[in-house]
Amino acid sequence: MPASVAVTGIGVVTSVGNSAAGVFDAMIEGRSGISRPAEDHPVAGSIEVAAFSPPIDPVSLLPAPETRVIDRYIVMALHAAGDALAEAGIEVGRDVDPYRIAVIVSGTGGLATLENQVVIRTQKGRLGVSPYLLPGMLPNMGAARVAIKYGIQGYSSSIGTACAAGAQSIGEAVRLLRANEADVVVAGCSEAPLFPTLAETFGNARTLARGWAEPSEASRPFDKRRNGLVLGEGAGVFVLERAEFAQARRAKRYADLVGWGATNDAHHPTTPRPDGSATGKCMQLALADAGITTDDIGYVNAHATSTKLGDIAESQAIRRVFGESTPPVSSTKGVTGHMLGASGVIEAAVSIYALRRGLLPPTHNLDDPDPECAVEHVGKGGQPTSTGFVLSNSFGFGGHNVTLVFGQPGSEYQRHV
Amino acid sequence: MTDEIRQFVLDSLVEMNYSIDDIDDDTALGPAGADLESLALAELAVRVEDKYGVKFNDDEAEQLAAMTVGEFCAAVAARIEPASAGL
Repeated sequence: MPASVAVTGIGVVTSVGNSAAGVFDAMIEGRSGISRPAEDHPVAGSIEVAAFSPPIDPVSLLPAPETRVIDRYIVMALHAAGDALAEAGIEVGRDVDPYRIAVIVSGTGGLATLENQVVIRTQKGRLGVSPYLLPGMLPNMGAARVAIKYGIQGYSSSIGTACAAGAQSIGEAVRLLRANEADVVVAGCSEAPLFPTLAETFGNARTLARGWAEPSEASRPFDKRRNGLVLGEGAGVFVLERAEFAQARRAKRYADLVGWGATNDAHHPTTPRPDGSATGKCMQLALADAGITTDDIGYVNAHATSTKLGDIAESQAIRRVFGESTPPVSSTKGVTGHMLGASGVIEAAVSIYALRRGLLPPTHNLDDPDPECAVEHVGKGGQPTSTGFVLSNSFGFGGHNVTLVFGQPGSEYQRHV
Repeated sequence: MTDEIRQFVLDSLVEMNYSIDDIDDDTALGPAGADLESLALAELAVRVEDKYGVKFNDDEAEQLAAMTVGEFCAAVAARIEPASAGL
């Protein structure tokens, strides 16, 4: 079994609150973050329902002159990273050498800001375009702004694997830490997809939930009546450390990341491979990496977005790996909607809370399970567990698949959750 | 004319989220004074081009940080006047 990696800090921004505990509790309580857009929101008229995260004043995180053309994804990334680093108790330079801490913050980038500038250019011409556009929207700027704000001078990158990017950032952090190329990695993803062009392309592709009188019912993974995903804003950032490094500084651990895997469907840009073979292989690779078997896994946090095909394909994959008697499965997206790449980080956090609290959270709105999604679903209200290992899946357009496996913290220094 | 340009520059700085509390004609635009960084100086140049139709070439743009507010306003005015005279 390769060396474990300690999770010592978690920061999130979601429509159900800006704490991992809050997301977990929302699933237990069936509290949805999904609503109709406010009339004055840019996405109003382009989408029926969405999951809006709380406003964050950019001036609280950045120099004022740099906040006028800055995408919301960057602001949310900074907020989540700040919370994660504070929780881990890490001050760069004091607790870790600036060149031994890395940052991998991913995401689609600030396309809303690009859209806005394109509109301005159309109206005003060349002189309307801001010189701040690129630093305000490039997909690496989440990582870059975190590096600048906290003085992180080691490895830095941003991964562009769509809805798998957040989980893959965590996986990449594991790779760095195991190779002893860093002591600490700040890894996560931030997504702000609620603007007209993106909402409309999702809508025109017929992937969005539609026709729901009650917005909180629109996202319903695995349920017979599901008719599409609900887009959501969100950010999630982990602080991960080499286990020995965390132990030496007596850092309180949430959990250990014990294994991960990645594959590609090599099938279609947006449609999952129907038999779930590549996603199944992804889970098997993660289990093998962790040195455990299917019998050890007590919970699967599914990617399940509430689309017809995706939920079925993932169910097939889970059965392919675990057999007819699967571990309990649930999807976080019933309450948060689909936060694209950020979902993987937030769902990893939920998986850790399930592990540490000994309680599995249910899928919101799963009233009548689709027989084609024949896995063991977590019961309403949640169910107790004594499992030692949990697994979280993330799949992205392009066929990117990532699985993360977490285990109980291998240290006497544990964070109470 | 320079007074109008000065007011335009100050209004622009406020819109760009810079404080103008301690700024006068002798304040440098760059780090020694108003503290406009490179992109802010570029934006200010774009704004005066949009408003007055005057341009600063690349070499001149690099010198903007060292200019005072007064010098910058005078430079803009000097470029407007020949253009106007030619009309």
